[in-house]
Amino acid sequence: MALNPIVGLLVLILVFVAVVTVVLAARHRLAFRIAIRNVRRGRARTALLIAGLLVGTTIVSGSLVVGDTVQTLTYHYVYLGAGYVDESISATSESGGAAYYPYSVYGEVVNLTAGSPQIAGITPMVVDAASVYDRTTGIPETDLNLIGVNGNQSSHLGSFIADNGSSIAGPSPGHVFLDDQAASALNATAGDSVIVYGVAAVPLVVQAVVQENVRGAFITAGLTPGNVFVTLSTAQGLENQSGKINYIAVTNTGSQVAGAASSSSVSAYLNTTLAGVLSTYGLSVKTPLQTALEQETTASQSIETLFLVLGLFSIVAGAMLIIGIFVMLAEERKGEMGMLRAIGMRRRELVYSYYFEGVVYSTGSALAGTFVGAGVGYVLIYLVGFLLRGEGIPQSALLQSFTVTDQSLVIAYVVGFLLTLVTVVVACRRASRLNIVRAIRDVPEPRPPVRTYTFLAYLGAAGVLLGLLLLATTLRGTGNESFPLLGGALAILGCGLIAARFVKNRYAFTATGLALSVWAGYEPLHTYLFGTSHSTTLFILFVVGILLVGGVLMVVLFNADALVQALRRLLGSRADSNPVVRIGLDYPTRQPGRTAVGLTIFALVVFTMIATAAAGSTVEGSLNDAVNAQAGGYSFFGVSQVPLPHLWSEISSNQTLAPLFENAAPLVAGAVRVAVPGYSSTQPYSDSIYAPPANATGPSSFLATNQFPFLSTLNGMSGSAAFEELAADRSVAIVDGSYSQVSNAFSTTTSSHPTLTVGTQIRLTTPAGTRATNVTVIGILTESIVGGVWVNPATASAMGYDNTSAYFLTVAPGISTSFAAQEAKKAFFPAGLVLFDLRGLLAQSISTTEGFIGILEVFVGLGLAVGIAAMGIFALRAVAERRREIGMLRATGFTRGMVLRSLVLEYSFVTLAGIAIGVGLGLLVIYNLSTGPSAASEGVQVFVAPWVTVIEVAVLAYLLVLAAIAAPSLRAARLPPAEAIRTSE
Amino acid sequence: MPEAVVVGREVWKVYGSGDTAVPALRGINVEIFQGEILAVMGPSGCGKTTFLNCFSGLDDITRGQVTVEGTDIHGMPDAKKSEYRARRTGFVFQSYNLLPILSAVENVEMPLLIAGRSAKEARAESRSILTQMGLGDRLTHRPSELSGGQQQRVSLARALVGHPAIVWADEPTGNLDAEGSHQVTELLRELNRQYHQTMVVVTHDAEVAAACDRTLRMRDGLFVS
Repeated sequence: MALNPIVGLLVLILVFVAVVTVVLAARHRLAFRIAIRNVRRGRARTALLIAGLLVGTTIVSGSLVVGDTVQTLTYHYVYLGAGYVDESISATSESGGAAYYPYSVYGEVVNLTAGSPQIAGITPMVVDAASVYDRTTGIPETDLNLIGVNGNQSSHLGSFIADNGSSIAGPSPGHVFLDDQAASALNATAGDSVIVYGVAAVPLVVQAVVQENVRGAFITAGLTPGNVFVTLSTAQGLENQSGKINYIAVTNTGSQVAGAASSSSVSAYLNTTLAGVLSTYGLSVKTPLQTALEQETTASQSIETLFLVLGLFSIVAGAMLIIGIFVMLAEERKGEMGMLRAIGMRRRELVYSYYFEGVVYSTGSALAGTFVGAGVGYVLIYLVGFLLRGEGIPQSALLQSFTVTDQSLVIAYVVGFLLTLVTVVVACRRASRLNIVRAIRDVPEPRPPVRTYTFLAYLGAAGVLLGLLLLATTLRGTGNESFPLLGGALAILGCGLIAARFVKNRYAFTATGLALSVWAGYEPLHTYLFGTSHSTTLFILFVVGILLVGGVLMVVLFNADALVQALRRLLGSRADSNPVVRIGLDYPTRQPGRTAVGLTIFALVVFTMIATAAAGSTVEGSLNDAVNAQAGGYSFFGVSQVPLPHLWSEISSNQTLAPLFENAAPLVAGAVRVAVPGYSSTQPYSDSIYAPPANATGPSSFLATNQFPFLSTLNGMSGSAAFEELAADRSVAIVDGSYSQVSNAFSTTTSSHPTLTVGTQIRLTTPAGTRATNVTVIGILTESIVGGVWVNPATASAMGYDNTSAYFLTVAPGISTSFAAQEAKKAFFPAGLVLFDLRGLLAQSISTTEGFIGILEVFVGLGLAVGIAAMGIFALRAVAERRREIGMLRATGFTRGMVLRSLVLEYSFVTLAGIAIGVGLGLLVIYNLSTGPSAASEGVQVFVAPWVTVIEVAVLAYLLVLAAIAAPSLRAARLPPAEAIRTSE
Repeated sequence: MPEAVVVGREVWKVYGSGDTAVPALRGINVEIFQGEILAVMGPSGCGKTTFLNCFSGLDDITRGQVTVEGTDIHGMPDAKKSEYRARRTGFVFQSYNLLPILSAVENVEMPLLIAGRSAKEARAESRSILTQMGLGDRLTHRPSELSGGQQQRVSLARALVGHPAIVWADEPTGNLDAEGSHQVTELLRELNRQYHQTMVVVTHDAEVAAACDRTLRMRDGLFVS
């Protein structure tokens, strides 16, 4: 197996760290011995430390495992769907399906490629659509895949496996195989008598129901719609294409993996060898398996990145916790360290002793975190399956796809180890700079000398220069918007450091915090300075989040005293006289280091959770708003193989159907090529054309029944005026929303889709290129679920479009859409009517989005563990180091309840302040994004604050913190005063 | 004859149990009178601090009875005991035990707030007593910004500010140099004269004991003189 270069590099770094550690340990044995003794002297504390330190690794590991699993799952479906078809040879028909060509082409391909060692087999096929009526069960099913293939020509594609486990080469003449999906839809079993409808209808017998293996799940990957397998001649007869095929499957030698790997060279070989045949019949060679694998690799990497970026907040929170833990450890050992320094131990030795201790903790926590992360990944996958149940992918398939690769474990371990170690070393360097006397006497460190501020001012000046340089070079253009944001932030921080040399820290850093908050949080400033051409990735959420949280925390922490005073005034004189309130609020404000760590952790974690929830609710809100726009007031969009120009009169005269529907508007439909001036990519664009029949009235009139809104219209005319003009003017057209490149959950515009504005003249050409016309676009619809160009019926007729084969239908109030669809499909089965439940499709999108957001919320919620662990550890430490103070308070008259309440108030203050900052900023960031200049193009129409989630998160976080601090607080309250005063920690 | 404020009868305090039981007080009997300064002396480990803790209500006794101002303090529930300490006692310790997060004046006003006084009153009285003790220019200093003597004076102020009936002092000069020790002793005497509070001072400093009205000596958990 080839070694991934990133893994190789990480392993090299790990080996380097190990070698350096061994060399240092050999040279500084005393420091090493002290470190090992410190690790061993409190096993419970060591376990607690490792538990606190493993969070970062857990996040990395969990993200990678989710990515691995998604990739395995998608590969599973790709391999199922592609089967052993490594390359396909086909052409696109005018209608967008696969065009038929003579069977003799297959013979030519076989002859020309004979002897190629990379090709294992070539199979001629028919791939089309069909409907089936099961005469035994009486159930019809439309829109199934028809696959015509001979068993004796397709051995390289693998065997069908019947539900009884037997292996079968292929269907016999007069018989049909149904895959599990199709059989389920028809409630069919082997032996059933069915009629298969293509262009013609053929009665057949179900020979077997086949499993969704690489053969049976061809195209569908085991998902809906199902497959119908018949012999090649049966398929040719069904489609009235005797002597023709429309698909040649090429199977490469070796396994599916090997076949996909050699697909590039085989397709190049086929393009060269078959050049003449391909050009004669307009055929092209495609690499379905390799292409799909590449697409899915990108998709799973995107999901992995999404989880990692959102996990970054938790990683930062975890790093803050590590710093907090080690600073506390250093405080606890200040006396010991002072004594060691007093008896001659050098500062460097102290750092080494912490370094060695950090290596031990990092090694343990990274190892534990890697496996805990894998467990977290499993839980997430389980939840994905649970939340998305009933939406296609079975939970069992998800769980079977659960994958933990060696590579991910190594990356998670090394990244987690280094992350922890670097944070530990930074924390230790600070801890080792203690003054011997102050350490022994436990006197607080004084304000740093002026020269420290001078040094910081120079550092600040460098930051300003660097920041301005970054800002100037990235201010405009199409680069990532994170860069100018970071540039400006660096300049602001630099100014703060310079200012701290001349004015009080409080003034310097309050101004810096305010400036950072405005810089990161005031969206119009970004639009004004950066323009709207920058690209935005998810990473910007992290950048904005960190800058905003950092800015607000600076303001809060450097003004904590004033804020507490204000809070006391707000609470009134009774609170001011309350010693519990005094003590509870004074500890957090007068221990700024620890409060900063706690606040930062909570603010970051809650920020991520709320931002994720707000993004979800905003997207869901936009989806809900988009439902009517996309559905246009209709329930179904339908297509039929046989034109049904009088669908409404047929429905209204049918006793069963009449009460079920309130309108049915037919449309002339077909395929069209659209040329947009100035649009260079993929010209002309293949699309659909629709025309409402001129003579339709009342419930059968599209013009009278549709409620489609417009994104824009020529000269600002109303939507109904635009449709009226379409009905009257042959030279105008209306296009769907994808022509404006507005994305939404129901259709994804691609860069190959042409864009235009109203007033643009476009050229429409029939697929064969025989007829063409120019039309002016007078309106762009909001909807894009039924994509295409709407034209005047006379225009359509002049171009040869006269098949009334598309429909919009609305069910009557109170009628179930599934019931109405079932009855309509039964009634119009011979015409091959297929109905798409517009609201159902939309509801599925919303449900999928909700599910995915739910998973993300759970994932980012892992960070909550950091905050809770932090508060628990801080409370534990507080009780240990404040024993004498608690004893003194008890001696002075504090009751047990007052001790308990003061500790609860202290941690409540930090927690609730962190939650408030996180909630406020999380909502602000998503509000900015959802009302920013790029929001509309992303399909976001409205900001929806997730108040229920906000309350849930706030209450859950607060209750969990209360639970975490309960034990140490109760212990503090139960301390016997005499013992507390007498004993030091 | 002055009234006995604190009366101890057959007071035992045993740490641990069974074979590891260590009796720190062995059935002591004592009376402490209103307005006196009583010094308790003895070698290390003789039970002086245990005596102070048990008689002040900070610690429980194993057997016997301690009545303070006529009330059996060991029969009280914890909340009552806390209230009693807040209203009727003050403590001074060798290591000052000031709250490091609070300024001098905030430390001193804490017992008043616990006793239910308003913030304004508490601040005024605390300022006043600290000024009286010569710390008027150190009101807003944190303990870490004060010398040992100054911290002990703040500690004294905290013990006395609520005008408690009894002040319990455990080695109040133990951490101070001769000058500081002398100042604190003088201050104790002065305040006793001024407020007529009963003071119990555990010490092994003969100079401190000499400044007290009466001295009791302890050995092996018993008063020997």
